[in-house]
Formats: sequence, C-alpha cells, structure tokens
Amino acid sequence: MMGSVGATASRRLLLKQIAATTAYFMASRSYSRASTEELRFGLTPVFLTSDLELLGRLQLYLSRATGLPVTLLTRRTYQEIVALLISRQIDAAWICGYPYVMHEGELQLVAIPEWRGRPLYQSYLIIDADRQGDGLGDLRGDTHAFSDPDSNSGFLVTRAALAEMRETPERFFARTFFTYGHRNVIRAVASGLATSGSVDGYVYEVVAAIEPALTARTRIMWRSEWLGFPPIAAPRNPVDPGRLALLSKALLNMSDDEDGRAVLAMLRLDGFVTRGAELFSPIAAKAALVASAG
Amino acid sequence: MTGWLHPSSWPITVKVPLAVAALMILVGIVLSERVLAHLDESQQRHLRDLAQSYLDGLSSAAAPSILRDDVWEVFDAIERAQALNKSVNAAETIVANADDRVIAASDPRRFPTGAPVPRLVLDQTHAQPFRFDIGGDRAYAMRVLAYPGREVGTIFASFDTSHLASERRGVILTLAATNGLLTFLLAAAGWVLVARMMRPIRVLSDHLGSARESGATPIAGDVVAHSRGEFARLFGAYNELVHSIDQRHELSARLAEEEKLGSLGRLASALAHEINNPLGGIFNALATLKSHGHLESVRAGSIDLVERGLVGIRDVVRSTLALHRTDGSTRDLIPADIDDLGLLVAPEASRRSVTVSIYNGLVGGIPVPSSSVRQATLNLLLNALAAAPPGSRIDLSAHVADGGLLLEVEDRGEGLPAAAAEQLTGASTSRPLRDGSGLGLWMTRRLMDTLGATIAVERPEEGGTIVRIRVPVSRHEVLADVA
Repeated sequence: MMGSVGATASRRLLLKQIAATTAYFMASRSYSRASTEELRFGLTPVFLTSDLELLGRLQLYLSRATGLPVTLLTRRTYQEIVALLISRQIDAAWICGYPYVMHEGELQLVAIPEWRGRPLYQSYLIIDADRQGDGLGDLRGDTHAFSDPDSNSGFLVTRAALAEMRETPERFFARTFFTYGHRNVIRAVASGLATSGSVDGYVYEVVAAIEPALTARTRIMWRSEWLGFPPIAAPRNPVDPGRLALLSKALLNMSDDEDGRAVLAMLRLDGFVTRGAELFSPIAAKAALVASAG
Repeated sequence: MTGWLHPSSWPITVKVPLAVAALMILVGIVLSERVLAHLDESQQRHLRDLAQSYLDGLSSAAAPSILRDDVWEVFDAIERAQALNKSVNAAETIVANADDRVIAASDPRRFPTGAPVPRLVLDQTHAQPFRFDIGGDRAYAMRVLAYPGREVGTIFASFDTSHLASERRGVILTLAATNGLLTFLLAAAGWVLVARMMRPIRVLSDHLGSARESGATPIAGDVVAHSRGEFARLFGAYNELVHSIDQRHELSARLAEEEKLGSLGRLASALAHEINNPLGGIFNALATLKSHGHLESVRAGSIDLVERGLVGIRDVVRSTLALHRTDGSTRDLIPADIDDLGLLVAPEASRRSVTVSIYNGLVGGIPVPSSSVRQATLNLLLNALAAAPPGSRIDLSAHVADGGLLLEVEDRGEGLPAAAAEQLTGASTSRPLRDGSGLGLWMTRRLMDTLGATIAVERPEEGGTIVRIRVPVSRHEVLADVA
C-alpha cells in the first residue's frame, strides 16, 4: 500500500514534473524573447519617437548600464504599449499618467523624469499664432487635434475641462481627430489642418527649442495646472525582478553617467526620481470626473 | 518713291541677302517648331510619369486612412508624399472622400477638412487623369481611389510647372537668338559675296553711265588684268567697243574737216574765177591805155573800166574775209550778211546756170550770232545749188516774224532725200553717212542746235524742197530794234 501510495505519489510527482517541464518549455517558447536575458523597454509617442539617434543612444546607455541586451519597442498608440505592459510582454515602458491611473492595480512606478527641477508638466491648448482667444470657451466649433485617447495632456485634461463645462468633445467641437503624437498636434495646428490642439507642454517646449519654425506658427492659449510627469512603469508583478531592478538603477543613476547625461540633454530632462502614486492623484481625479460625466 | 518699294527695283546686293535671310528664317521656324514639339512632348511625358508616381505613392499610403476617414493620417501621407517627390513640385494636393468633401489637403487653410472640393478644382483636370497645357505654370492630375466596386475617394493634385515653362522660354530664346545670329551672319556673308561678285558689273555700269554723259572711256588696264573668266572677256569686248566708237568719232571729224576743205577749195576756185574775170578786163584796159592812152576818151573809159574791175575784186575779197573771220569775235547779224551770201554763191550759180534770188527783209542788227547763221545758210544754199537743175531758180528769204529770225531756202530740184531731211531736222541722231555725204546738213543741224533753232523741211507738190530755219530772238531786243 505504502509502496503503492509511494509509487503513485512518485508517479504523480513525475507527472507533475513532466507537466511543469513541459509548461516551462512551452512557456519559455511562447515568451521566448521575454524570458531570455533581454531587457524589453516600451516607448510611447510621449516624446520625439522620430528621433532615431535618441533611441539609439538610449538603447546603448541602458544596455551598458544594465549589462543586458536591450530592445526598445515603439508603437503607434499608448494603448498598444500599455497592452504589452499589462500582459507582461515587456519589462517596463514609458507611459503616460492617464493609463497609469487607469491601470494602477496592475502597474508599479519605476521612475519619474524630472523636468526643470520637478517631476511635473503641464498640458497646453495651442491655436494659430494670429488667432485671438484666451480660454477653452473660445474654441467652440473648432476642428480640434488631440494627441491620443490615452494621453493625459493630449486628451484627458481638455476632456475633463469640457466635462466641468458639462460638454463633450463631440458636441463642443465641430470635428476632432487624433494624431497619435504630440509633435503631430503642433504640425496639425501650424498647418491649419486643425484650428486648435491639446498638447503635452513638455513636448511643446522641446519642439520650440529644436524646431522654432514649427511652433512659431502656433500660440499657447491656455496652460493646465502642473501634473505628474509621464512615468516609467512596470507590471506590478515584474516579468523579471532582477532585470527590473537593473533598469530602475540605470534610470535613477542616468545623470551620474556621461552617456546618460547626453541622453538626458537630448530629452531636455534633468534626470529620473522615484515618487509615490499620489503624484498622479490630480490625474486620477480628472479621470474620475470624465468617467462620471459619461 | 513707290517704285523704290517694289522689290524688282532693288539692287541685287539687297535682294540676295534678303532672300538668304528669308530662307534662313523659314528654316529657323521649321527647326524651332520641331525642337519645341520634341521638348513639349518630353516635358509632358516626364511630368506625367512624375505625377503618376506621386499619385501612386500617395494613394497607396493614404487609401486605408481614407477608408477610416483618418484626417491626420491622410494629411501626414500628403506631407510625406510631397517630401518624397520633391522633383514633381507638387503645389496643391487635396484628398477627398467619395462625396467630394475634403478629408485633408496640403494647404488646410485653403481647403479645410470637411468642406466640399471647390468647383474650380473639380474642373481643372477636365475629368482627365492628367492635364498639362504646354507653357503653363500648372499641371493637374486626378486619381479616383476605388476598392473593388466602390469609389472611396479622389486625389486632386496640381504641380508647379513654372520651371518647365521657364526652361521652355529659355529654349525659345536660345533658338531665336541662335537663328537670328545665323540669319544675320549668312545675310551679311551673302551681301559681301554678292557685292564682290557684282563689282565688275558695277565697273562696267559706271563706265556705261559716264559714257552717256561725257563719252565712253575704256576700263583701266589693271582692272581688266585683275579680272578672270567671263568678266575679263566682257571688259575686253567693252574696251574694243569704246575703241571702235573713238575711231568712228575721229573719222567723222576728219570727214568734216575734209568737207570744210572741199568747200573752201570750191570757194577758193570761185574766188579766183571772180577775181580773174575783172583782172582780164583790167589787163585789157591797161593794154588799151598803153597803146591809146594819149586819147582822152579812151583813157577815161579804160580808167573807169580798171576802177570797176578793182571795186569788183575788193567786194569779193571783203565778203570772203567777213565769212571766214577767224578772230573769234561774234557780232550781231546785219542785212549785209545776207547780201554777201549772194555774192559768195554767185560764181557757183553762174557755173551751174542757176539764178539765186534773194529777198532780204532784215532791217538793222538782229541779236543772233552772224557767223553761225551765215555758215548755216551758206551750207543750205550750196546744197540747194547742188540739187537745182540748170536754168532753175533758188529763192533765199530772210525776215523777222513772231519774235524769231526766219530763213527760207527753196530749190526746184528732185527733193531732199528722207534720210538727209531727218539729219537736218534732228529726227535722226545718227552720225553723218559713212561716205561723207550729208555732212553739210549735219553741220548745219549742229550749228542751229547751239542757237536753239528749229529746222523744218517741206517738199511741195510741184517738186523741189523748202528748208525753213527759225532762230529764236529775245523778244525784248527785237522790240528794241523795231523801235
């Protein structure tokens, strides 16, 4: 009996082991890239995704600082990157405050960029440089360019402001469209394709410094309050805690390294810091307002 | 003035360069037309290809976005297509949905999203996929985007073709300048060539022109020596012609001189005869005086006879002197000049048994040169004497009428031959006949020409010839004389 029980138990153990091994192998095959020693880092169009040199330098720095091969993933929309993050297909991603507060239960903060000495930024409403007006109320009937439906500065801030006015973008504006990039919002307003746009204040200032001709055709009509800067987030249950720790360290020490400072200079950032989730409470409040307004 | 405008009157040195220029212009126009046609065709083909490639790229990039009505993506596709196809110089691009409403345009301020595509844009292409007017600043293209069975949108594009237009203008200018320069150079070369070729002809025509005014001169020997071919032969022939004309002139002069000497001889013999007759009487009277001079009656008769004979000799000598006065002075005609003519021809008249009857109606001096009139009248009288049959009469009349001196010589001969009459009246400008006949008449004609006189010849029914000379006299002086 005992032997039988033992044999049965050992058979069960063996079966379990086989199953586990199979599962491991199957899992390792399906997540082959994620589970190998490679750091996968997602980037949203929050900043200048078009700058290949910047991507190359960032990849080089992260790879050297973590000692791991690094793959940078860019997607057209926030949604795609957030989906990769929540489904744990990537180790971490630079996302926006809005998706973070929407998925706070599944995500953890890794680091927050510091801009002009604070981990804060604003949302801007921009219009044609020659146009009059000083508030959102003047934009009724416009063709309005949003950045991304999952962007705080490029959508949520304006959406929440309209909700306070008991309006929705569909009713308030004659037409809206998404450009899936803050720089594209500036282009749309500058070219006249849109008569106004909601844009990330940080991106606008960087573009103004790099491409003054583009922003010269636009004017900042309204600035939002200071809000939490788009953070670097990771799945709450890390894909690989060791890799995440290396990444966190690399980001927080970026300003101490020459290559890191070069990347930060290109990004016009001071460095990365850690902050608690309360930094994004104002964004969460806006999200709640919009959700309650319907 | 209008004759100068007629091309046939232009000199050949003008006509040939003009003809060359006209031909060159014609050739230039034809060549330019061919070059431009080729240029236009290649420009059009090149532009069409570029436009097609632009629309291909744009439609493949924008088609999915058009289906989704994605304003930004369509706009971004337009901007990327324009940046990629810089060589096509896309000026304006409009992407419209199936209802011809703008989704996005390269210039959103002119064509805002959602607005209907302006009629003007719809008409620009004339509903053709591609339209380019040669030399225009714009080309237009249109592309209907269809997913199987369904039209989803249309792309309207216009292209800046001003660089092609200016290239075409440059080609036209180059063609015009080149052709103009070539035409000018060839016309100038034609002018130089023709002027060179025509130089011998001009030498010849200059000589012929001066021959009419001042007598023919031969072409200089060195000019002839430098000529070749037909012009050398032509110059040679011309110089021979001038030489023969000179010989004829010399012959005529010699004949005139001989005629003058001949008439002088006749006059001299008549004069000798005239003097010989009284001399014979005088010698008879002297012989009578020698033998019977002591007789009073005989002496008086003989002396009277000698005196009359000497008076006759003196008259003859005096009138001969008057006729052949050689001191060059001219004086007016007086009635005695006409009477003297009777004395001069009397011996010849008596030799031929012809009576010369003179009607002298002149009173006082007539202001015409006496020697020319007398010489001419003497010629006419001698001519009449030569023609008059023995026993007939010759009438000479001279009077003033209608402000002119009228001289009339009438004989009863067989009539003046027509050729001689023409020489006399000036109807024929030919030189004296080769045998010397008619020389007296020709000289009469020339003498009268110098006085501006007219000569008329009449042949009456009853035979003979009447020659009338009318010498114009200044009316004032005639009246003064009459008064």
